[in-house]
Amino acid sequence: MMMKLRVQLHCKNLHEYLRELSPEILDRLFNHPATCLAVYRELPDLAKNYVMRMLFLEQPLPQAAVALWVKKDSQKDHDECVSVLAGLRLWHIQQLQGGLQGYILNPVFKDNLRIALLGGGKAWADEGSSLGPDRHARDIESLDRYAMERWEVILHFMVGSPSAAVSQDLAQLLVQAGLMKSESGEAPYITSAGFQFLLLDTASQLWYFTLQYLKTAQSRGMELVEILSFLFQLSFSTLGRDYSVEGMSESLLTFLQHLREFGLVFQRKRKSRRYYPTRLAITLAAGVTTNSSSSSSSSSSSSSNMGSTPGTGDAGFIVVETNYRIYAYTSSELQIALVALFSEMLYRFPNVVVAQVTRESVQQAIANGITAQQIIHFLRTRAHPVMLRQTPVLPSTITDQIRLWELERDRLQFTEGVLYNQFLSQADFEVLRDRAQGLDCLVWQDVAHRTMVVTPQGHSEVKRFWKRQKSHT
Amino acid sequence: MASEDEINLLVVVVDVNPIWWGQQAQREPEFTLSKCLDAVMVMGNSHMAMNRTNKLAVIASHCQDSQFLYPSKSWRGGDGGEDASSSGDGKYELLSVANNLIAEEMRNIMSKTEVRGNSTDTLLAGSLAKALCYIHRVSKDMEVGREIKSRILVIKAAEDCALQYMNFMNVIFAAQKQNILIDACVLDSESGLLQQACDITGGLYLKIPKKIALAQYLLWVFLPDSDQRSQLLLPPPVHVDYRAACFCHRNLIEIGYVCSVCLSIFCNFSPICTTCETVFKIPLPHMVKAKKKKLKTST
Amino acid sequence: MDEEPERAKRWEGGYERTWEVLKEDESGSLKATVEEILFQSKRKRVVESHGQVRLGMMRHLYVVIDCSRSMDDHDLKPNRLTSTLKLIEAFVEEYFDQNPISQVGLITTKNKRAEKLTDLAGNPKKHTAALKKAKDTVCIGEPSLYNSLNLAIQTLKHMPGHTSREILIILSSLTTCDPANIYELIKTLKSLKVRVSVIGLSAEVRVCTVLTRETGGSYHVILDESHFKELLMLHVKPPPASSSSECSLIRMGFPQHTMASLTDQDAKPSFSMSHLDSSSAPGLSLGGYFCPQCHSKYTELPVECKVCGLTLVSAPHLARSFHHLFPLQVFTESPLEELQGDRFCQGCEGELKDKCVFTCPSCLKAFCMECDLFIHDSLHCCPCCIHSQSAP
Repeated sequence: MMMKLRVQLHCKNLHEYLRELSPEILDRLFNHPATCLAVYRELPDLAKNYVMRMLFLEQPLPQAAVALWVKKDSQKDHDECVSVLAGLRLWHIQQLQGGLQGYILNPVFKDNLRIALLGGGKAWADEGSSLGPDRHARDIESLDRYAMERWEVILHFMVGSPSAAVSQDLAQLLVQAGLMKSESGEAPYITSAGFQFLLLDTASQLWYFTLQYLKTAQSRGMELVEILSFLFQLSFSTLGRDYSVEGMSESLLTFLQHLREFGLVFQRKRKSRRYYPTRLAITLAAGVTTNSSSSSSSSSSSSSNMGSTPGTGDAGFIVVETNYRIYAYTSSELQIALVALFSEMLYRFPNVVVAQVTRESVQQAIANGITAQQIIHFLRTRAHPVMLRQTPVLPSTITDQIRLWELERDRLQFTEGVLYNQFLSQADFEVLRDRAQGLDCLVWQDVAHRTMVVTPQGHSEVKRFWKRQKSHT
Repeated sequence: MASEDEINLLVVVVDVNPIWWGQQAQREPEFTLSKCLDAVMVMGNSHMAMNRTNKLAVIASHCQDSQFLYPSKSWRGGDGGEDASSSGDGKYELLSVANNLIAEEMRNIMSKTEVRGNSTDTLLAGSLAKALCYIHRVSKDMEVGREIKSRILVIKAAEDCALQYMNFMNVIFAAQKQNILIDACVLDSESGLLQQACDITGGLYLKIPKKIALAQYLLWVFLPDSDQRSQLLLPPPVHVDYRAACFCHRNLIEIGYVCSVCLSIFCNFSPICTTCETVFKIPLPHMVKAKKKKLKTST
Repeated sequence: MDEEPERAKRWEGGYERTWEVLKEDESGSLKATVEEILFQSKRKRVVESHGQVRLGMMRHLYVVIDCSRSMDDHDLKPNRLTSTLKLIEAFVEEYFDQNPISQVGLITTKNKRAEKLTDLAGNPKKHTAALKKAKDTVCIGEPSLYNSLNLAIQTLKHMPGHTSREILIILSSLTTCDPANIYELIKTLKSLKVRVSVIGLSAEVRVCTVLTRETGGSYHVILDESHFKELLMLHVKPPPASSSSECSLIRMGFPQHTMASLTDQDAKPSFSMSHLDSSSAPGLSLGGYFCPQCHSKYTELPVECKVCGLTLVSAPHLARSFHHLFPLQVFTESPLEELQGDRFCQGCEGELKDKCVFTCPSCLKAFCMECDLFIHDSLHCCPCCIHSQSAP
């Protein structure tokens, strides 16, 4: 029997990512106020309050006292907070004088979070002010435009537009991330994971991509802690301000060049001494939490438009009607190409395209490895403001139908198994079948043809039984 | 983390009555207005640090005026004006910009506003009204599909102003209608008006026993938003006195007489309503006793 | 009584060129004028609601809901009955918000009969529950104006003279089935100072015109659902008290909420008096409001003490009505260009961008339109005047 598994794109959120880091890396991460603040923001709300309550205490608090902070019916949330805080090494258990167990915040984390909140310590980065005013200063609008252009080039490259060219590094990264595949020197082409990636909202795409980048960072000789700190620092900077590259290490400068290619920072020239973070960089950390809902495994994504990065121009242009028509008010080739992934184009106008979602087009998309959930999520996160005003945002007939079309393909369920046949007698067959049934490993049987299938796990047991049975007779 | 797409707006109203703070500086030199503002900044920073979508506004309630400390008119968020320089240390840039602004605006108010009279009453109702207007505008400006949850935190120093009763109640009811919590952190004497405000809108009322620890009280009690409050054990609601005060002597009464026309409350029967000058039909069993009530205490 | 001149009907008036209000701008867009019209209609509500002297603050209102066959019509979605009940529910909520010490009762009429849905009571919960239940009512037969009015009078005539006596009829049918001469009843209503208002769902009916004119009420016919809602909300505000209505001082109790357990260790939970007549399960509770006169216990305010008849309220209940008595002045509208000084709204600190600003006549501070609406609709006091004046 054959088995086919659908590859699903799953991106972790920051929290999951941090949990997988080794304790020593975590401890070193907390040496920068920006990472402390980013980690703090990722905590569950209740845990945030715990941290705040303990931030200015020098003494450990007895465990029993901490347990009394919550109401009785929220005990579960409390336990979760305790485990999260301990898991991220944000607090330790310490013996109190009376022999009681107490909690105390990780001193490094505590000091740096305090610095982030109240000041002190040294500045995060050298500010642009030391360079004097920029003669080529950029306003927010042009930065947004720049960021979007850069990012779209990458997406264009993925769908194989001839005009889009990216650096060798980036192409390699896309291949490593499994979004593209390249066979023996040929130009890389998109994989099914790549299709799924395209349908994510920008913030999630960016985060997924960053995670992939971090995974390979160490192999390219970069210091994980250093670039993570820098990334978080970027996400807390102010849009429209310039920062100086002064004091950055060589590997960090390389990293900056990569960020420049992704559109996360703007640098006028490669050798320019100042850079501007773009909205993509600043919303990087914000997109982190929302993509847990965009990963296809979660039941249904929240009906929010948070996923679309505000101000980046791709927010809200799709109108879906109950007659399966899609009106996409966009002139972006890329967006049109994305819509075309799962629909049939009907008309094109300068500022709008009309497409029709059909059974064939959706089936085609699903065959490419895109899931119904991802299509629905794509439509929902890019819904036109007019659509957002109604609940549910998308007509339920459409969402249901897309899901049904997906289910059509899932009529077959694949199970691995071992086939037993050519039994000599009906009795032999029945003995073995009953045994398999008793072991709860029978998958299928056909009495007339004396055929049965057992699971691979049960196979050895059934085989042994059959041998014993034969030797007896 | 369901609150991601929800914007949380906290408006802090700080009582900066200069007379009260002047007296306070003499009473307890270790807790002055600048200490109080520091605590407010800690609270504001913690609120903004909690979530990217958290928003803050700070209003100073002076004796005749209330001023926005943050965001101020001159600074339009985001465009990074020249004056919005960060402090050059390890503080989160957004926070240091906000803090510098608050400090600067506060200096402006203190140097520019002259103090008339010597009343230590603060006109909190006005500041609350401005806070509500601000919240109203922010929620109107919101994109579609976004929700905003707002609350007001009052840090109160000076005495209640009894003459403000009616305006204060109007403000409270407006807040209740808009689902805005009013929290109160009282530094000195208990405030009956704020107790009612908190009780009606579902906010927390706390008179702090130790002024010097203001920042800690703020972080422990008032930082959690309404969702988190449902999980945490917090001070129990205060017992609010809803007895009415009569318009004639300002006594608290349990049984009183209410004018059917203007709803003024009196502690005993009089033939003419002092507020609306209506002549009442005299109920038979009552002895009419003409009391002199020339005092026009309209409220 | 039939001789009074009727007000002119719309179709009797001159020929109106209603479309000429719309003007295209240079680019041929109608957006500007449409916005202007919307703006004016927003503003109208604020301006209209002023200029009264004395209000009947303590109201007794019966709402009569037509449940005749015509309520099955689908011109309101999903049908007239469901739509009406939903709106009445909102009306009841708003009514008690604005008139906290008033009472409401509900009457339905169908099949030539009138039936009391709820008695006059001051608690919105009971009414909303009854309205929710009424959704399943079968609409049959003809309504009876006479029977409904008569049923309402039976209770209203016992209400004290200082309170207002009002009936609001939601009439869908164009016919009514009356057992006696309704004009006699109108005379009785007039002598009892009962004010009858009618909201018609289909068309103007003469008997209602007379009824409302004689009793001093208002008569409106709805255009659509939003107009219906608007008309209902007109009845939320207390009506001006008629000059002949009596005034008196009413004895009221202001009970405190007390927890028995705080004062006395072995306190036992007790029943509250409000459960005496309700069919709902009696609730035992420790705390409650105790009537200062006879010490019977109630769980909610406002309420009329079942034992001694004292009206029990809390001070905020009275305060909720104050804004009707001391209404805020209308702000004067002026073009933005004339404004001196900062172009910032004094309320929300937002930049003034609209064409017009609104100035408070007493403190001369300028506000934006959103704030102006908010201040007059919800806040009822000028944020700047509070600072300058210490007493209203």
